[in-house]
Amino acid sequence: MAEVFEVTDEIKAQYGKETDPWVYEVTTTSVRMYARGIGSTDPLHYDVDYAKSQGFRSIVAPMGYVGTPVFHPDTNDGTFGFPRRAGGTRLNLPMKGLLDGGTETEYLDYICAGDTLLETSHLAEVKVRGNMVFVTNESVFKDRASGKVVARQRLTSIHIG
Amino acid sequence: MTTANPSVITDEMRAAIGVEGSPSVMEVEKTNCRMFARSVGHKDPIFFDEDAAKAAGYRNIVAPPGFLGTPIFNPTRPPGVPGETGGRGFTIPYKRVLNGGTEYEYFPENDVICAGDTITARTKVAGFEETTGSLGPMLITRRETTYTNQHGKVVAKLYGTVIQY
Amino acid sequence: MPQIYFEDIQEGQEISELKKNCSTQQLVLWAAGSGDFYQIHYDKDFAQGTGLPGLIVHGALKHAFLGQLVHDWIGPAGRIRKFGCSYRGMDYPGQDIRCRGVVKKKYTENGMNLLDLDVWTENPEGKKTSPGTATVTLPNRQ
Repeated sequence: MAEVFEVTDEIKAQYGKETDPWVYEVTTTSVRMYARGIGSTDPLHYDVDYAKSQGFRSIVAPMGYVGTPVFHPDTNDGTFGFPRRAGGTRLNLPMKGLLDGGTETEYLDYICAGDTLLETSHLAEVKVRGNMVFVTNESVFKDRASGKVVARQRLTSIHIG
Repeated sequence: MTTANPSVITDEMRAAIGVEGSPSVMEVEKTNCRMFARSVGHKDPIFFDEDAAKAAGYRNIVAPPGFLGTPIFNPTRPPGVPGETGGRGFTIPYKRVLNGGTEYEYFPENDVICAGDTITARTKVAGFEETTGSLGPMLITRRETTYTNQHGKVVAKLYGTVIQY
Repeated sequence: MPQIYFEDIQEGQEISELKKNCSTQQLVLWAAGSGDFYQIHYDKDFAQGTGLPGLIVHGALKHAFLGQLVHDWIGPAGRIRKFGCSYRGMDYPGQDIRCRGVVKKKYTENGMNLLDLDVWTENPEGKKTSPGTATVTLPNRQ
């Protein structure tokens, strides 16, 4: 049976190729919306005075939230919000079905409302199992002001052919 | 049998006319301006791009028409009396409600609402009117909300009409 | 958006139309943009449970469409002073919504070049589902 997708040597040679950076913003409204979306009742994500009393710069991004990519209708995907930008790798994937295969986030520092981050991403791995193609991308988030890495994410999507 | 419908406007309601409810605070930021603009389908870059907005003479990304900011959501605070809605909660016999319309008035000579602004909204009942139409007897309530920015400038007013019947 | 000028406008002229057709996805985007998460706009079972034929477009989204109609027409130097509408008829996802307007009055007041407009959303049967008005200022040709 022919494979739904072939992971060629050319594709493997693309692993690690970074995209151009994209600005991700963390605002009080976006932190609260994410926290509200998960049903959190921790005032650390809602109450600026409380967060500051606990020693934080402002309300804290809940786990999993790494800011909102700057959106422009000309550059960002209308459904998923991701930016179309230079660099990185473009794959021609079967798209009958698409599922989220998982997310891993590593925080090296707290991310708070008021932060502006620069994100770059690269293709990390492509695996085929039957009619499913697992594509893993890794993103690195740096604080724009300090240049320090504040978070990393590994995102896997499952493309079903 | 009398042909005139009895008035449903009480003394309590009359006393509420012109009285402002407690203020509510809304935040205007880059992320929520863009989200509103994106959801409407706006294309003008002043609603998305900080550089474009500044090049057009604005302080920052502009709040699209109809956007006054996001209220501060905090489920950890005890629910307050919705005073900011200014006079809601009167008991009247009509059980059905229709949105009669909303109108925004802007004061660009005072300021244009931009990302970075904090807007305080204060609502009051502007008046009551009773009439009889095809739906039967109706109570029309007009409310006015005044929006002031962090510099104390009135940047917008909202005139809302609610029809109960 | 091109700039238009006060001198060039005539009472009775129609303004450039904006055509919309909301997908159910747009109704979800609007819920996020407006903070109105009422289920009649994205949960079909819920909508029908309240007696509606199916999902309906938020009135406030149509109001925002009229805001875009006017904003795009007046150009970068124009300003909206007032705009508003009433919700008289329902609009549905997957159906054309024509956003239209007509100049009713052209005048100057307090040193401002003012235009009063009738604006509305219109369904495929030609019914004005959200009739409204707007007042705008336009620049003079320099």
